[in-house]
Amino acid sequence: MQIITCKELHAAYDAAQVGNEKTEVLKGVSFGLEEGRSVCVLGSNGCGKTTLLRALVGMVPASGEVTIFGKNMNDMNRREIAKHVAVMTQLSEVYFSYRVSETVMMGRYVYQEGLFGRPGKKDYDVVEQCMDAVGLLPLRNRALHTLSGGELQRVFLARTLAQQTPILILDEPTNHLDLRVQAELADYLKAWSKEPGHTLVGVFHDISLALHLADDVLLMKRGRIHTFCSREEILSSGALEEAYEFDVLRYLRERGKELESTI
Amino acid sequence: MRTTLKAGITIGISIGILVACIGIGSVSIPIPDMLTIIKAKISMTTIPKNISPSMVSILWDIRMPRALTAFIVGALLSVSGVIMQSLLQNPLASSYTLGVSSGAALGVALVVVCDIVIPVVGMFLLPAAGFVFGLGTVLLVIAFAKRLDASLKNQTIILLGMVFSLFVNAVLTLVSAMNAKHLQRLSLWQMGSFAGRRWMHVGILLGVAIPGIVAVLWFHRELDLMSFGEEQSQAVGVDTRKTKLRLLMWASLLTGAAVCFTGIIGFVDLTMPHVTRKVFGARHGLVIPMSALLGGSFLALADLLSRTLLAPREIPVGAVTALVGAPFFLYLYFLGRKGKPSCR
Repeated sequence: MQIITCKELHAAYDAAQVGNEKTEVLKGVSFGLEEGRSVCVLGSNGCGKTTLLRALVGMVPASGEVTIFGKNMNDMNRREIAKHVAVMTQLSEVYFSYRVSETVMMGRYVYQEGLFGRPGKKDYDVVEQCMDAVGLLPLRNRALHTLSGGELQRVFLARTLAQQTPILILDEPTNHLDLRVQAELADYLKAWSKEPGHTLVGVFHDISLALHLADDVLLMKRGRIHTFCSREEILSSGALEEAYEFDVLRYLRERGKELESTI
Repeated sequence: MRTTLKAGITIGISIGILVACIGIGSVSIPIPDMLTIIKAKISMTTIPKNISPSMVSILWDIRMPRALTAFIVGALLSVSGVIMQSLLQNPLASSYTLGVSSGAALGVALVVVCDIVIPVVGMFLLPAAGFVFGLGTVLLVIAFAKRLDASLKNQTIILLGMVFSLFVNAVLTLVSAMNAKHLQRLSLWQMGSFAGRRWMHVGILLGVAIPGIVAVLWFHRELDLMSFGEEQSQAVGVDTRKTKLRLLMWASLLTGAAVCFTGIIGFVDLTMPHVTRKVFGARHGLVIPMSALLGGSFLALADLLSRTLLAPREIPVGAVTALVGAPFFLYLYFLGRKGKPSCR
């Protein structure tokens, strides 16, 4: 079953923001995501990866049609979208100092309503579980402004997980993280994506990590889809080289060899 | 310290300051007499003979409405400061940034200069003009911001607010300069004062404050999320555009109501939210009611100082808030920096 589809998606940044020209970032993107098949979006800087992820959940103005679980996104309000798709965007600045557990609890926003809609037992359980998953339990009472960039990244990831949605969209979730945490996180995300009904969509700059996590690869070049195929196919097709205009696989192989010989 | 204990202490401080405001002055009123008078007035029974009627009048007709007006205005300003800072993600934002006060001042100036008299509105003309112009300025800022940038980004709002604020101020200066005979009245209004406030003012302010603060509390989760920025709150399910518009309107209404009866009083809306966050953490469910109490206490205390420090002369309360507030704020800020993590 296709859980997200988009047809002829176009997005452009406001003329006021980028000189005086309207810069088209997405130039007619169409595809469908299958339930349970994790997708990694790859492409060089500025090819529209982040904009595509945002357009899929209506966070940037875009023309074209997007459906989520068969429903047109324009007919859904933000709450409804947030119950189906959780998005972790690139890190934002923190101005006010909430505690770690308070911040993760904010991921339960869509489940609490009204003036006194206090978090229930289930909310606390989910928050606990999500903090545990990313190793935040020892930091639960710390104020956000006392955390390092990597710790902060984990807090926002835990908040995204706390939304408990079938679809998880991640924009470079391993930024700022040290190798050990990256590896732990990759394992967690892999396990998460293997659970029935879960679909992971992510932008990763680390191609080896992307290939480790994804079933399919969506390769973008200059605002258009270059190739959308399975992980195995992408390696043999030569598409990576075309999209990056650079011999990606040779580079990866050489780095690997170099490392091996050093060890 | 436990949050409930801190909240209890804050409530205690608020009551203590209100009692001080009512008791202290050229005639000091002992607490037992105070309680007797208030009880008798509320239950509409006769006041015992041993209390002089002038004392009753000082307490009930002069000091109580004045202290309560100051308290409510402080609460309104403080809560609107909380909203602005979180919504615009800018710890230095306040309703003044968006031109509420300059708009209100211009409205009042126009009424004074043009000698406008509307019999039905009577003494409410000045505050009404201030309120309408203050709100009007914010509406214009939002309308322009919407045209420029449909998603109502923070920097668009702040930038336009500052531009409008400066422009309206310039018009105000022009109007004042060309009408020298009204200059004194205009500058007095701009300094802010609680002198001569009656129960009617308390009633009207309460009429705005109670629904206003409850409405803002309704959005406490959205405010929590929006202080992380639009993108983050959208991702979690907040309709940022709608929420921002509603909260901006509420903040302007609260400031407008506060400014229109008392003139322009700065500093409360900027500092009290910070003080509250320092004591109670950042969650708006707690920050909103507590900043109302702390802001109210602060302004009531400032008003007490304004009328007692150089008695029988009165210092403009706006000057007191800045004179007392600025060093106090610096002290808190630097104390927080030196010590352990400043949040809880």
